[in-house]
Amino acid sequence: MLALLARRAGFSALSLVLVTSCLFILTRAIPDSPARIVLGQDVSQVQLSQFEHDHGLDRPVVVQYADWLENLLVHGDLGRSFITGRPVGPDIASSLPVTLELVVVAFVFSCVLSILAGTLSALLRDTAMDYGVRLIAVLGVSIPGFWLALVLIMALAVDRDWFPPGGVIPWSSGFTDHLNSIVLPTFCLAIFYMAVLSRMTRSSMLEVMGQDYIRTARATGLPGWRVLLYALKNALVPVVTVAGMSFGYMFGWALVIESVFNINGLSRALLTAIQQRDFVLVQGVVMVFTFIFILANLVADVTNVWLNPRMAALAA
Amino acid sequence: MTTQAPKEPPAMTHGLTRRSGMLAAAASVLSSSWIRTARADETGTLTVALSTNPVTCDPINMGSHDWEIISESIFENLVEFDIEGNLKPQLAKTLPEISADALVYTFDLRDDVLFHDGTPLTSEDVKYSLEYTIDPANKASRGPIFNRLSHVETEGPHRLHVHLKVPFAPWTAFLTKFMGVFPKGSREKYGPDYFRLSPKGVGTGPGMFEEWKPNDYISLRRNPHYWRKGVPSWERLVVKIIPEDATRVAFLLGGQADIIGAPPAREFSRLKTRKGIQGAAIPTFGGWTVMFQNPSQPPFDDLQFRKAIQHAVDRKTIAEKIYFGLVEPSGIPAPASSWWYDKEADDMTAYNLDIARQYLAKSRYPNGTEFDMEVSSEPYLLDSKDAAVFLQSELAKLNIKVNLRMSSSQIVQTHVMGGTYQSAMANFMSPGEATYFLMAAFTANSFMSKVNGSIEDPEVVAALKIIFAEPDQAKQKPVYTKLMRHLAETSYFTWIGYFAAANLWRDRVKNFKPSRGLTINVYDVSVT
Repeated sequence: MLALLARRAGFSALSLVLVTSCLFILTRAIPDSPARIVLGQDVSQVQLSQFEHDHGLDRPVVVQYADWLENLLVHGDLGRSFITGRPVGPDIASSLPVTLELVVVAFVFSCVLSILAGTLSALLRDTAMDYGVRLIAVLGVSIPGFWLALVLIMALAVDRDWFPPGGVIPWSSGFTDHLNSIVLPTFCLAIFYMAVLSRMTRSSMLEVMGQDYIRTARATGLPGWRVLLYALKNALVPVVTVAGMSFGYMFGWALVIESVFNINGLSRALLTAIQQRDFVLVQGVVMVFTFIFILANLVADVTNVWLNPRMAALAA
Repeated sequence: MTTQAPKEPPAMTHGLTRRSGMLAAAASVLSSSWIRTARADETGTLTVALSTNPVTCDPINMGSHDWEIISESIFENLVEFDIEGNLKPQLAKTLPEISADALVYTFDLRDDVLFHDGTPLTSEDVKYSLEYTIDPANKASRGPIFNRLSHVETEGPHRLHVHLKVPFAPWTAFLTKFMGVFPKGSREKYGPDYFRLSPKGVGTGPGMFEEWKPNDYISLRRNPHYWRKGVPSWERLVVKIIPEDATRVAFLLGGQADIIGAPPAREFSRLKTRKGIQGAAIPTFGGWTVMFQNPSQPPFDDLQFRKAIQHAVDRKTIAEKIYFGLVEPSGIPAPASSWWYDKEADDMTAYNLDIARQYLAKSRYPNGTEFDMEVSSEPYLLDSKDAAVFLQSELAKLNIKVNLRMSSSQIVQTHVMGGTYQSAMANFMSPGEATYFLMAAFTANSFMSKVNGSIEDPEVVAALKIIFAEPDQAKQKPVYTKLMRHLAETSYFTWIGYFAAANLWRDRVKNFKPSRGLTINVYDVSVT
């Protein structure tokens, strides 16, 4: 296990360096200078050059990257936003919890429901329950998230007044209020992955339930729930791998959800930063997302080793 | 986060059973409190939702007419346009006295105006503000608009004389949107980022800067010492950033926003009749929807090609079917209802595909060509995307392929203003008078010179010179007539029409009307 973690840590560090360096090159390749946005439409070449000099944009990309990396590793400083002039670290720290909460709640929601629904669907194969779960899964995969979000806003927030149409009400305004405000966005975020994971759980369970060791377990007279647990533990290995990836992907989906629900989270901040050519903020946000993605996959790998200890030997 | 008082529970239409009673009780526990907090505040917070993201609060660098709601609420000017488009005094007691040679404007200032930090306004502050703005060293993006101003002389604490280098009548109209009065020495004291990001204490307007939460909102507090007693009625102004059309509308319908800008044209008529919602549109004299073309770049460096494009644009259909009547079609830089409009010039650009084909045949591209058209991904003032797609399909009839390039409105603006574009479908706003855009785009060294490929058109320059020095509208009219026909003939840009200022607001908002100046004006607005 330790060898696995050590290898993963090394791989993660390398991934972070690769992602951030690629991002640096890509953002600097964009022809529009942020100076034109910050200084206005009538920026002269002198003003533009001065701005780029002040912000180090006139130096070679490699030097800029090395400086950025040094500031990050030595001082924990992600740099200052071109647009607001403020350090991006605190801005990321203030908007990350909203996105993280949406994603975590949506992830837990989709995992619990999909495992439950997928298992039931497999156990009650070709029954009304199975057909129902499969239909919902097909719909969940097929319906575009932004469209579903708009329909739910109109139906449940505007016409019915059951939920606020957007924004996230802070915890300080009340626990119930807060939970109500995240129901629609988390549902819209979760539904796609719930569909994917439930189908995967179903097919994996069907495969495992047909294995010899399950038949043997039954033949030994083990209670049904015990057999089910054995089967589920093995069936979950591919589901956990996909779930780990899904957790990372959800931060990408959150961009759409945060835009539609007008939630001031980190994904929306990334979109605005891209539009405003605020490279420093883009770098900071992408680095945080990459880190989370890598961490989620690491957790998935560790969980798989726990579910199936033979995988530790394979990974080593 | 905005809040609102609890809503009346819906009337019971069914008999009350134990089960439904329990459900209702549970629902009320779950819902009533969050409805209170989710909605716009009953205690005096006015929430306005706009579609674009701001980059500055500084009036002398402000590029977005949407966000002038912030700069115009914090900063004031010598004069202002009211919501009906009438020029009237603001920090000045009366409109200026103008010398016989039209080179000196004398203003008498109000003596009851305080800056937000409590210091009184004097003529020295106005002199400082104007001279700071026009000094090229300070690189104010709006400075070049006022570059015909020479200097300012003060005469006591409440009187000043503004000297012009040449007659330039429209400068007072430009003041209202692109200038602001701030305390003497404040720029050096606080630095540029202060005015850009958190201008506290440096304005005289009804709103005092409170907070800018990036990507979310900018908020102002009521100025308790505002010189217009009883104004504003709101305690707090929150201007939210909601780029998505549907979400902005949902915020309005759900009560999280009181007023919205850039309502979707397709839905405007339906929404304004919805219960609890009001809406209105008012024609503007300065809001254009236009296809900018860079005449210094192929294919737009070819006059025949530009004329082909002019005649290939069905403005009437765009106005009626895409903007649903919120745009008044016009092929020249004059709204049909304005006094400087010339029908013959407009007819010179009329939609006619046969004529378009004839011009195309005479151009360097008889078999068609292709070009890029930049379009803003989020609506700035109005959504241009549908119009751009329509133009794309129309021009395809002439075998002209239009490659649509979507970017944020700020990026499109910087490309257009910087002259680094081929064509762009955009909305443009100027004060409600005729010269602003012509002066900016067709004269050398102006802030929009590059839009027109830095081409200085001598006929336009000569006409503007006459107009600037001639106060009599009747005498200006023939000059404008000639000018409009010249612009139709040269077809530098393809004007589509002039749009109306349109807003939707909730019933709780009182004394609100869309402004002819297009920027939402909230001075006299109250919330109940």
